[in-house]
Amino acid sequence: MIANLDDLVFRLNNHTTDEGTRFDAVLSENGIIEVVCSNVSEFQINIASTETQLLSVTPLFLKSEVKPGGEAELNELLLQLSPAVPLSSIGLQGNTYILFGAMPLETSFENIVHELEVQAENTVEVLDAIEPLLV
Amino acid sequence: MGILSNIVKAIKGGANEMGESIVETQAVRIYEQEIREAEEAIEKAKKSLTGLKATEIALKRKLNGYEADITDYEGKALQALESGQEALAVEVAEHIAELETERDETSTEYNRLKEEVNGINRMIKKRDKTIQKNKRELEKVKTVQELQKATSSISSNIAATNSTEHRVSKALDRVKAKQARYKDEMEAGDWMAEENGTSTINSKLAAGGIGKSSQTGNSVLERLKAKQAKG
Repeated sequence: MIANLDDLVFRLNNHTTDEGTRFDAVLSENGIIEVVCSNVSEFQINIASTETQLLSVTPLFLKSEVKPGGEAELNELLLQLSPAVPLSSIGLQGNTYILFGAMPLETSFENIVHELEVQAENTVEVLDAIEPLLV
Repeated sequence: MGILSNIVKAIKGGANEMGESIVETQAVRIYEQEIREAEEAIEKAKKSLTGLKATEIALKRKLNGYEADITDYEGKALQALESGQEALAVEVAEHIAELETERDETSTEYNRLKEEVNGINRMIKKRDKTIQKNKRELEKVKTVQELQKATSSISSNIAATNSTEHRVSKALDRVKAKQARYKDEMEAGDWMAEENGTSTINSKLAAGGIGKSSQTGNSVLERLKAKQAKG
């Protein structure tokens, strides 16, 4: 279990997974941890916290990046894909499609790391699958 | 009605735009107010409960005392009857009747108090459930709010770079290239380790005089001499 967000940042920055993944984590002013996983450095993961859970969010693309007229098809595809994606869900936040995971605050550090690795992998897989529908 | 429908209303009303917040809705204030009121009520109830419980215990002790006295005097009245002291037995019986009246009054009071204590306990549990439920509802709002926060910074970055076409596809290509390079490096590392292993074995064999002996000036001279002798 992690003590607080500062602790999580410190431990992430000093950790390398068995697969050699490293993390570059920064705690922003508004209380969000910005994490870059070395295996998927193009897509940053942001970690926010509430009173009960940690939320890991990867913004995928904007509504405006969907091919004109392809929004309905994309939305249906994402709804169908979502249950098949392990540990992450697909959602829409404002104008941004996101991939996100939620963990209880009591989650062990090892499991948080695992969740982040999987989320990074899921990001690439999901984007790879729906990329033809983007501009 | 749960808070999700309020969240839907807020989203439809454009509350997902930067600077606006779903948290400022009337529903959230109501939930927070209910939590505060419930917590205050529980606090009050707990205080009065302590006093009531103490009285309940005291009354129970008093009741037990009456019961014991009544049993005791009943025995004594019987003894008086057995020894033919009728007048004394009547006096004792009257005292027992008084004790019984007092016992019944105490018993009524005790039961009323017990019911009151149970009622307060039920109320505390109910209020506690309200608190838990409202906290869960507020957690949904907090989640939406945090998601909004966690998304907005990167979203504006994407928006800023959105002028480039095929942003996602280019980013994917870079990720794949990086992952391929990483895989190649891993393979190269394995190859290197294997090569090092092989050369170590070869040098050990050579040191032991096993396997191909290396060509030296002497060995070449020996070969030439042999050729000359034949010719």
